Amino acid sequence: MRILIIEDDLEAAQAMRHGLTEAGYDCVHAPDGEAGLTEAGKGKFDVMIVDRMMPKKNGVEVVETLRREGDQTPVLFLSALGEINDRVTGLRAGADDYLVKPYAFAELIARVDALSRRRETGAVATTLKVGELEMNLINRTVHRQGKEIDLQPREFQLLEFMMRHAGQSVTRTMLLEKVWEYHFDPQTNVIDVHISRLRSKIDKGFDRAMLQTVRGAGYRLDP
Amino acid sequence: MRLPRLIRSTPFRLTLLFLALFAAAASAFLGYIYIATAGEVNRRADADITREMESLEAAYRVGGVNALNQTIVERATGERPFLYLLLDKDGKRISGSIEESPIDGFTGPGPTWETFKLTETDIDGAEVKRAARGVQERLSGGEALFVGADVQESEGYVMKIVRALRGAGALVIILGLAGGVLISRNVSRSMQGLVDVVNAVRAGDLHARARVRGTRDEYDELAEGLNDMLDRIERLMGGLRHAGDAIAHDLRSPLTRLRARMEVALIDAENGKGDPVAALETALVDADGVLKTFNAVLAIARLQAAGEAPNQAVFDASELASDMAELYEASCEDKGLDFKAEIVPALGVRGNREFIAQALANILDNAIKYTPEGGAVMLRARRTSSGELEFSVTDTGPGVPEADRARVVQRFVRLENSRSEPGAGLGLSLVQAVAASHGGRLELAEGPGEYGGFGPGLRVALVLPRVE
Repeated sequence: MRILIIEDDLEAAQAMRHGLTEAGYDCVHAPDGEAGLTEAGKGKFDVMIVDRMMPKKNGVEVVETLRREGDQTPVLFLSALGEINDRVTGLRAGADDYLVKPYAFAELIARVDALSRRRETGAVATTLKVGELEMNLINRTVHRQGKEIDLQPREFQLLEFMMRHAGQSVTRTMLLEKVWEYHFDPQTNVIDVHISRLRSKIDKGFDRAMLQTVRGAGYRLDP
Repeated sequence: MRLPRLIRSTPFRLTLLFLALFAAAASAFLGYIYIATAGEVNRRADADITREMESLEAAYRVGGVNALNQTIVERATGERPFLYLLLDKDGKRISGSIEESPIDGFTGPGPTWETFKLTETDIDGAEVKRAARGVQERLSGGEALFVGADVQESEGYVMKIVRALRGAGALVIILGLAGGVLISRNVSRSMQGLVDVVNAVRAGDLHARARVRGTRDEYDELAEGLNDMLDRIERLMGGLRHAGDAIAHDLRSPLTRLRARMEVALIDAENGKGDPVAALETALVDADGVLKTFNAVLAIARLQAAGEAPNQAVFDASELASDMAELYEASCEDKGLDFKAEIVPALGVRGNREFIAQALANILDNAIKYTPEGGAVMLRARRTSSGELEFSVTDTGPGVPEADRARVVQRFVRLENSRSEPGAGLGLSLVQAVAASHGGRLELAEGPGEYGGFGPGLRVALVLPRVE
């Protein structure tokens, strides 16, 4: 998996590169928007991480140029803390996801994982299968070891998201954003409570827990 | 100092331009008056001379040179104010009231006009020159006849008119200039107040304000605009300063704690003691807490500075309330609280959905945090009788004493009994900022009252204006 990091803060880029390489990614770094576009033109990337504020060409311009030229590589947009308008601007320009600096590293990896995986599952599936767990998207039913599990609509959505990202860490913020579609910052463990409810439904009474808690990051559904 | 400034001023320059145009128009007007009066005087004198000439010619036609001579002699000695001169074929004087024709080299045959000076001796014996005008014509017999008139009097009249016109022109220019100076001084004085304010602000006095005179003219409008602008700038600066103070105040202690913890961990690690991983994890949690606080302070400051929340749109508030109910119901159940939601369907509201969601989350977080186990939390969304949209969260916790309700909304204010709970005291401040940035308000009231060891509770309402 190849990642293009377009970031003018060299130290931040270095840290990002280090972490992503540890996580098994192959990274290329470009120090400004123009260099980023040149690199993007040279090779194929699975995900691009684009900083908002950069010399020469800013992040929004970079993403707009990429999309105009027909480059559909998933883009994770990075922005400084507290810019309340940036998320909308970034997504409107064509970015696929958005992360506010400073971010937890686990959050960055989780989002890059999710974006790089998104490309692979292109076809529209009617069923999802992760290990013993089977989900029928048409009937909206879930079975584990052939036993039906009764889920509330939101629990179903939550499990669907976890199944689509099986084996990857997903963070609480990602769940709030992708399952509930809200971008606020909860002060308490609202997501944890929902996960523990879901866990009690899919793991209780079975010999092995599929829904794992990843320390410092979030959750992972293991096959 | 005063004059050059006056000349530089725009109104004065405009006045000069106006004056030039006005002077041109006045010259045309005065020129017309000149032609209509002085010209008329001259024409009338000429007509009199022509008439006299014609009557003499009639005498000549009837009685020849002799009759004409007779008539001239008669008339020249009479009271008529004309000048006469009759010359023979060779230009020699036959008769007349003057000695010499003022018209030399006369060839005829038509009349030749001339304006000239008549030299006379007045009663004191002094020579005076008087303006005169005359015409000379050749008669059919070859003689030349000159008829003239003393026009000194009418000339004087014309001169009077010219002098009057000159005076009028000068008056026009002087009055125009005076008017220009007056107007530009008036305008300059009005502008000066504004310029003084701008200079004062530039020098650093943000409290300076322009005087609004109450005349409702464009200067007042400008002064009001300037004052509004300054008010806003001052408010923003105040907000920034306040945010700066707040950040410094609240971040100093956690940052100091974080630093100390890392230092201790480093010493421990050097001595091979303690668990560096655990120390780093704690430090991360601390850093996240600092960032969270920082983020909230910044969001509040930006909302206050922007005045109005960005990216507002009309959306379904009932749906938002239901989502929040669904999200927080689990937390309530987890803590052993009874949760209820009463949401009127299809409530439209205009605003930034994320900020309103954040505000509701903060209110619900607080309610859950402060309500003891076994208590209840209720979320309501409804339209009030005045058409406003009201989200309210009622809990059965200890509530907030009435005296403290205004205070808890302020940044970093935490009541004594809440200090043991996590949080930086920014939750309600953010709700307040969100409410204000939507033209709404935050209301705190007592909950359902005391019962069975609970209460009196708190009712927190976020009220947003009706959608037009």
